[in-house]
Amino acid sequence: MSFTLRGRIQTRLAAAVPALLVAIALQRWWAIELVALMLAIGLALDVVYDRAISYQPAWLALPLGAFELALVYGGMRLLGIAAPLSWALGLFGIAWASAQVAGHAAFPRLRLEYGESGGELGRAGALTAVAVAATVFGGLGAAYATRPPTVHLHGTVQGPLVITRSEVLTGGVVKGGIVVRANHVTIRHVTVVGGEYGIDVEHAQHVTIDHVRVVRSQLDGIRATDAGVMIHDCTVTSPAGPFVAGILISYSMGRPMSMVDGCTVSGTREGISTHSAAVDVMNNHVIGTSARGILLGEMSMDMASHNTVEGAKGIGIICMDHSMCRIEHNTVAATQVDGTQDPTRGGVGIEAFFYAEAQLEHNTVIASPGGMRAFDNSVFTP
Amino acid sequence: MAERVAIVGSGLAALAAQATLRHAGVRPAEIAVFGTHEDPTEVWQGRAAAIRQERMRSESEGHLAAAAWPGLALRDGPGAWLQTLANRYHPPVRLFLRHAARVRDASGWDASFRAGRVERIAAVDGGFEVDGDGPFRHVLVATGHPGLALPDPYASDPRTVHAYEPHDYGSKVAIVGAGMAAAHEWLNALAAGSEVQSIRRREPTRRPLNVPRPLLTKRGLEPYHRSTPEEHAATLRTLSQPSYPPGDAWDAPLRAAEAEGRLRVDDRLNGADQVICATGFREGWAHDPLLARLVAEHDLPTHDRWIVLAPDSTVAALTDETRTLALAGVAAQWAFPAADTIAGAKYAARAFARRVCRSR
Repeated sequence: MSFTLRGRIQTRLAAAVPALLVAIALQRWWAIELVALMLAIGLALDVVYDRAISYQPAWLALPLGAFELALVYGGMRLLGIAAPLSWALGLFGIAWASAQVAGHAAFPRLRLEYGESGGELGRAGALTAVAVAATVFGGLGAAYATRPPTVHLHGTVQGPLVITRSEVLTGGVVKGGIVVRANHVTIRHVTVVGGEYGIDVEHAQHVTIDHVRVVRSQLDGIRATDAGVMIHDCTVTSPAGPFVAGILISYSMGRPMSMVDGCTVSGTREGISTHSAAVDVMNNHVIGTSARGILLGEMSMDMASHNTVEGAKGIGIICMDHSMCRIEHNTVAATQVDGTQDPTRGGVGIEAFFYAEAQLEHNTVIASPGGMRAFDNSVFTP
Repeated sequence: MAERVAIVGSGLAALAAQATLRHAGVRPAEIAVFGTHEDPTEVWQGRAAAIRQERMRSESEGHLAAAAWPGLALRDGPGAWLQTLANRYHPPVRLFLRHAARVRDASGWDASFRAGRVERIAAVDGGFEVDGDGPFRHVLVATGHPGLALPDPYASDPRTVHAYEPHDYGSKVAIVGAGMAAAHEWLNALAAGSEVQSIRRREPTRRPLNVPRPLLTKRGLEPYHRSTPEEHAATLRTLSQPSYPPGDAWDAPLRAAEAEGRLRVDDRLNGADQVICATGFREGWAHDPLLARLVAEHDLPTHDRWIVLAPDSTVAALTDETRTLALAGVAAQWAFPAADTIAGAKYAARAFARRVCRSR
């Protein structure tokens, strides 16, 4: 179609209604922020497209969509919008697909002259476009106005630091650990040294832990109990004792889904563990654990994807105790026999144990003598 | 309820108008279609058959239903869906005709149709009289092309046939013209084993559609509508130069025939036993008796061979809040350069339907 600039803008805004409704239904500020970002980038590009493209064939929606997706992803990272990647992709997908359906089918049916008017939607369309813009950017303003206070740490702070209100904690070094007991807390670019737990989250949700480094904790590097946490790009190393778990998320089934994404865990007893939780464990690097690399256990419903587990003792990745797991696109290398003669810990790269059901797809297991095995009434499904 | 809308003409543009009016909620009993052909595809179909046209030049949206979606590609299978993404889909003529028949049935065409050639449209109080019938508050004139063009000196040559008249092919065929019909005829004659002489004054323009795509939408139309009458006319003259689509389906057989010596380009006749004039139609309102009378009796503004129209295809001097006189088809080029296409028919029909609904 040969869009006019006004047509492009009205079409984009009106076609964003489904994505906006989903964002509102999610009741997360990041969803509103993401829709606002998509629209801001899209509207800026519309000005460029208007000059560069006098006629837009239908196939061009694909490369332009991919280009916009790349820009939105970059913008999301740049602005620190804490959207889970899968949700962000889903929201973008909804926006893109609804734009196609609206532009090719819905709008031409609702307004006969849609095509010949260059994508302009008339009075009703203009009102819709204004309403969408007002909702999105009003929502963005509300998000900004109600955002939690930001606490900037400078230098080293003696902990344990107890957070009992919604806030953003950023920068600095905390000695003795951080305790989170409130919803809507973000901890960003903080180094935590020592403490019983590096970061301990309990009875809280919408907690984001982003680019945090935890060293020398005595028990767990990051522990979340009865909590919903989004952990991105963290590092847990140099445990202070032999029983430290890198990241432990447990008893959180009643909370929103958690995520551990892009973390590096090294030298702990267990790398990343879940118990009775629903967690996406993805893109992590777990190195040299003295027991299991990634444990998905106790009736959890988890997904482990695109992780690398190296040199775990006994088991690389395990799905156990009535859990249901999807384990895909992981690489497990050099899993070692733990010396107990127990075949369930005999250097098994990927294991299902005790009535667990693991769905496996495209995993790579290297130099792990136990290979991939299911024990005690557990099954692997393709 | 009395008829209050008249469509003068009974071709594809008239059918598109009927379908659009029906979509807008106007009942068949409120519409009178005046024309000489009960089957709205009859004239067009005869021309397409004469040049053995199998596929439309238009694309998926080149259909007669009121809404652009679903297009014809959706009725023609997954291959067509993919082709239409890249504007490579041209509906088969048989599919278009089946679709036209469905639109005719669904739109109540037969209930609105009145046989007869209209000789006169006169502005009267409360609307327009159409050959004494009426008054109709809203009239759309869609009388189509005013006859086939047979240029001198071919008109008087006994070997001459127009491309749009039924014909076979001689052994040495001269084809005059360089547009879509000529391109079909080159291929037809070559396929029939003829030697072909292409007689043309200029090289044809290669263009997917009759006009550049932006001119089908507001993006191109807005500057066109803002231009002066001289610029308008210059644009229309440029666009009326012969053109046919690019693509190997056209070029490969022509290249092969040229290599074999069976096709040559010339500017005058040379030994042909048949002359096919693919020279289109007579141009201008003056060739249409109904339009000529309308212009003369109401002193309508014209420019060169075009009647000057408002951007919505209405005749401004005879249109106000209470009544509408609009043109569709080739006569509406002043408002929409591709008026003689399906897109043009629908452009005029939609604008007309808007006015009809607004005055309810």
